[in-house]
Amino acid sequence: MTSPNPPAAKRSLAQRISGERIVLALAAPVLAVVLSVTICSILLATSGKNPFDAWNVMITYATKSDGQVAILNRSTTYYLAAAAAAFGFRMNLFNIGVEGQYKVAALFTAYVGAQINLPSIIQIPLLLITAMLVGGLYASIAGALKVYRGVSEVISTIMLNAISIAIIGLLLVPGIFAPKQGTTSNSIQTDPVSQSSHFFSFNTAGGNLWGFIFIALLVGVAFQFVLTRTRFGFDLRATGRSESAATASGVNVKRMVMISMAVSGALAGLIGLPELLQNSYNFGQGFQQNLGFLGISVALLGRNSPIGMAFAALLFAFLDSTGSQLPLPKNGGFPFEIVAVMQGTIVICVVVAYELVRRYGLKRQQQKVGAQLAAQLAATEKKEAAA
Amino acid sequence: MANHDINLTVRSGTVHALMGENGAGKSTLMKILYGMQKPDEGTIAINGELCEFHTPGDAIARGIGMVHQHFMLADNLTVWENVVLGGEHLYGIGGKAKAKIKEISDQYGLGVRPDALVEDLGVADRQRVEILKVLYRGAKILILDEPTAVLVPQEVDALFDNLRELKSEGVTVIFISHKLHEVLAVADAISVIRRGTTVGDADPKTVTARQLAEMMVGAELPSPESRESTVTTTEMLDVQGLRIAKTDAEGIERVVLDDISLRIHKGEILGIAGVEGNGQAELVEAIMGMLPLDAGTVTLDGKDLSGSLTRARREAGIGYIPEDRHRHGLLLEAPLWENRILGHVTEKPNSSGPLLDPTAARLDTRRIVEEYDVRTPGIEVTAASLSGGNQQKLIIGREMSHQPKLLIAAHPTRGVDVGAQAQIWEHIRVAQRNGLAVLLISADLDELIGLSDTIRVIYRGRLVADADPATVTAEDLGTAMTGAARGHIESEPEAVEHFHEILVEGTEAESDAGPTDTADDPQAGE
Amino acid sequence: MRRSMKLAAVVLSGSLGMASLAACGAKSTDNTSSAGASDGSLKVGMAYDIGGRGDQSFNDSAARGLDKAKSDLGVSVTEAEAKAGEAEADKETRLKNLIDGGYKTVIAVGFVYQQAVDKVAKDNPDVKFAIIDSHDDAQPTNVTSLVFAEQEGSYLAGVAAALKSHNKHVGFIGGVQTELIKKFEAGYRAGVKSIDPQMPVEVTYLTTPPDFSGFASPDKGKEAAQGQLDKGADVIYSAAGSSGNGSIEAVANNKQGALAIGVDSDQATQPALAKYKASILTSMVKNVDNAVFSYIDSVKKGAPFTGTKLFDLKAEGVALATTGGKIDDIKTQLDQAANAIKTGATTVPTAPAQ
Repeated sequence: MTSPNPPAAKRSLAQRISGERIVLALAAPVLAVVLSVTICSILLATSGKNPFDAWNVMITYATKSDGQVAILNRSTTYYLAAAAAAFGFRMNLFNIGVEGQYKVAALFTAYVGAQINLPSIIQIPLLLITAMLVGGLYASIAGALKVYRGVSEVISTIMLNAISIAIIGLLLVPGIFAPKQGTTSNSIQTDPVSQSSHFFSFNTAGGNLWGFIFIALLVGVAFQFVLTRTRFGFDLRATGRSESAATASGVNVKRMVMISMAVSGALAGLIGLPELLQNSYNFGQGFQQNLGFLGISVALLGRNSPIGMAFAALLFAFLDSTGSQLPLPKNGGFPFEIVAVMQGTIVICVVVAYELVRRYGLKRQQQKVGAQLAAQLAATEKKEAAA
Repeated sequence: MANHDINLTVRSGTVHALMGENGAGKSTLMKILYGMQKPDEGTIAINGELCEFHTPGDAIARGIGMVHQHFMLADNLTVWENVVLGGEHLYGIGGKAKAKIKEISDQYGLGVRPDALVEDLGVADRQRVEILKVLYRGAKILILDEPTAVLVPQEVDALFDNLRELKSEGVTVIFISHKLHEVLAVADAISVIRRGTTVGDADPKTVTARQLAEMMVGAELPSPESRESTVTTTEMLDVQGLRIAKTDAEGIERVVLDDISLRIHKGEILGIAGVEGNGQAELVEAIMGMLPLDAGTVTLDGKDLSGSLTRARREAGIGYIPEDRHRHGLLLEAPLWENRILGHVTEKPNSSGPLLDPTAARLDTRRIVEEYDVRTPGIEVTAASLSGGNQQKLIIGREMSHQPKLLIAAHPTRGVDVGAQAQIWEHIRVAQRNGLAVLLISADLDELIGLSDTIRVIYRGRLVADADPATVTAEDLGTAMTGAARGHIESEPEAVEHFHEILVEGTEAESDAGPTDTADDPQAGE
Repeated sequence: MRRSMKLAAVVLSGSLGMASLAACGAKSTDNTSSAGASDGSLKVGMAYDIGGRGDQSFNDSAARGLDKAKSDLGVSVTEAEAKAGEAEADKETRLKNLIDGGYKTVIAVGFVYQQAVDKVAKDNPDVKFAIIDSHDDAQPTNVTSLVFAEQEGSYLAGVAAALKSHNKHVGFIGGVQTELIKKFEAGYRAGVKSIDPQMPVEVTYLTTPPDFSGFASPDKGKEAAQGQLDKGADVIYSAAGSSGNGSIEAVANNKQGALAIGVDSDQATQPALAKYKASILTSMVKNVDNAVFSYIDSVKKGAPFTGTKLFDLKAEGVALATTGGKIDDIKTQLDQAANAIKTGATTVPTAPAQ
């Protein structure tokens, strides 16, 4: 009676499930993208623009070398943002504070980078550690509040986002983190980071491809490894899937909350660095905002999986980069907002679609297992009858 | 797939019992009768008239009412408010409605107090409110889903009196259960379901418990085995003076566990009897380290664990079969092999150092699947796709794979089919023979009496009574569970003898007693 | 599961391969005919700050200068606009797109463009850049800064406010607490103080950097103005981009006859604000349009401005608008104050006293 089916049959079912899993995994995002393209096409058409021209502009730009470099550079940042958010999401910890964490981290890193000038081989790791430390510590505030005071991390991180703006407003003034300047300058930023802090990049025909893409790749690989191959990762996923079961299994959930929040914040600390160490070299008042929230969208779309988020980051970077070409008069002056509409609809559709697909997948597997067992039973009964 | 070729004829004004082991398809059938699920083929006729139900509303309109296993009442409303809720159009919300409730209550002898707050009511009273609710909506056919699961024996008798009253007033009752002697006591007709189809009808006047059980299982039952004591003098678990008090929202301190002391020796099974909610769950969680103690010590094999975290306690040798396996025992959406790691992530073969060893874990999962007869097409399927019994066997296999010194088994056979139940009991007995200490918590008194070496009764957070399973009956144990008896309880010798006769039929044959969750329906449990 | 991962990894590495192709691929600008001014006319590109054309304020003022240059000087123009929360790279791309389109004179509106202009100017030495409201000591020589003495105009606004306030209580609303807006506040406070040293000045900043939404949130402006009105201020000066529209609305809805002072453009003449005209005392006009026009003119004449070009009270870079005639009765006091500044008798601070 014990597993009477030959190993071969077992594997074939496992394969079928795995194959179906891929289809199911892809179904949701593909559906969402198609749906949002349709919605945006209708929007464009109703405003009297030819949607196909718009898509054509975007796709054409993506086939050009400078467009591709822009997409990859952008997706590097997006990927880091997504990874930061996803790390918390994997254990059902909603770190909405990625936004504040990366800005505070970038500010301090810019300051440290400007004050210290060591050989690159020491300087760059030092700056990476500074950023992760600051981001991690800032996020830990929310972690500690949750563990010791039971404050929902959603609330506390949203508050901390607002506080981070105040912190930057307080510190990024002439005489503290920004140099004292003449009266004619209106733009405030830290001193540029020292030459040795500059991260390497590849000079391609399409412009500089940021070397930080390797850090992003490294983060992705480490993310996957930690989650699937370590005890810590197992505890984290278990907590995410069922906190009650994790507690019963011996996971110290409080400790996990502290660690995950800190790691999520540390990853968030990296978000501002490609811009800081590869492009602007200083932290100014115009430093890019909203990456934290964008990261949440990308993580949702990528289903918190390192591979999925890579695709999602590329898609969002594609939309943002190529979308910037739309308003140009030579391209027909499309409204840029269409990109925001698309990103929004993709995220909404994908969240709904994932849930539908998840339920369908679960049901389907139950049916399959039932069918398989019934067939198994029938086979044994027949055998018994023959005997 | 869940049901096929079900043929069921229920005569009006009778109590018709529907029996079957868990997973046999009873719940699906009830869902169809109550309009919650649509059949792929087949018809339903009431009084000879064909009907089709799309929603529970349709079924209610046809006079079918359902009393669910889990009560659906608002605690902070009164009885009559609960009854009227959702049925305001029937008799309004004023005096007319109240009068109607009183009338129904008197007519069927339910003895419901309309102005009492539901939160002040006991389980049996709440059940009567549920029945009243259904009758208020004009039901002439009543479906009761495992109504006795949460009741102590005395309350069961009261319920049966109510059912007989209902019957005499012309109400038809469909009674779902798998407790053989209950069915024999109350039913006018019995239908047995197995593997999604009706396998036969039985007349309760002529059929025996054993025959019924065999109909349900579809095979000869294993004969009872004689047991000899394996209890040693080596102390394994020593719990002294446990106390846990919780402060509720109003700032009133509620003592959940008070001065609990118990000892379990190697090879001993200590059973804890009690009506649910009297501190059993907290006792388990306290020993597991999931609840902080206000006072007391927990010592395992000479090692003080009072301040240890759950993981350290598990590593020290506590195995745990949780009461609610969906919430505490499994990651439903994770594959079986990951579930095999759960709770033992720091131990071989699941990990070496800080790294997981998925290969070894997978290999060992296959071993558990074979040794514990977990029926699954593979170890990559999710735990949610297995039936309740197979999920439980996986958990037991997992917990036994780490040489536990103490096994905490909370309702180990709840929601598990007869076949698996026997296997689970056998696994526990084998482990006991090998020197395992077991803390058994069960609502099924037959299981407790059949397995335990010693029984303690928990009532309102205190261990109030103890009994020797050889000299006690379920009835007397039930009395102690209501707090009516204290100290050492011993039943009349002839009553014990009579009880053991039933037990011989019961323990082996009876399918899962105790309140089953929806384990025959693997989707449930989120 | 592991198989699906492997498959995904292959696809991912394939998509990364795209980058290596990029190294030898064509650029998006390769086949645009960047022949420059092929028709002989000067081509001017303008990059706006957030809000763009139609913000009724700063960007609109720049747009007027551009429109004037188009009609009077016959230059051909193109425009692009920033969006909120964009990356530094987006600004650079915008400037590059203008250059690639053949627009060899580029005007960046707003100090947020400083870094992008510095960088792009370095790579395109043949392109002439102008940046409004900003200056950087390290900027390349082909970048010209067009800056204004906002504090001087604000001083006059302060004088007018103090003279017109019945409650002897005035207010200031800054869009974002930047150095630039602090200059407005400093001048305004000094102006008020010159009339009545004891008069209280309510000061509200809508946001602090790096949150720049305070320049484009009329709702926040309205709320802040209402707050100041409730405290008793009855003349409110808002230097807050399009958020100022909200505060003007709040002031106009006030029953006690409170007055608003607009900023950058003569806001009483703007169609969107026409219905609140009666409540607009004056506007501190920052003649960005003049600056833009004269810069384009200088380029066209072949003698472009270089370095930093300051547009102060004397150079008529800033002034008070007289639309509606509400400040005609205090003209003498205002002229007096203006003369003192022009002659250097009064020095207006550029940072608010603490």
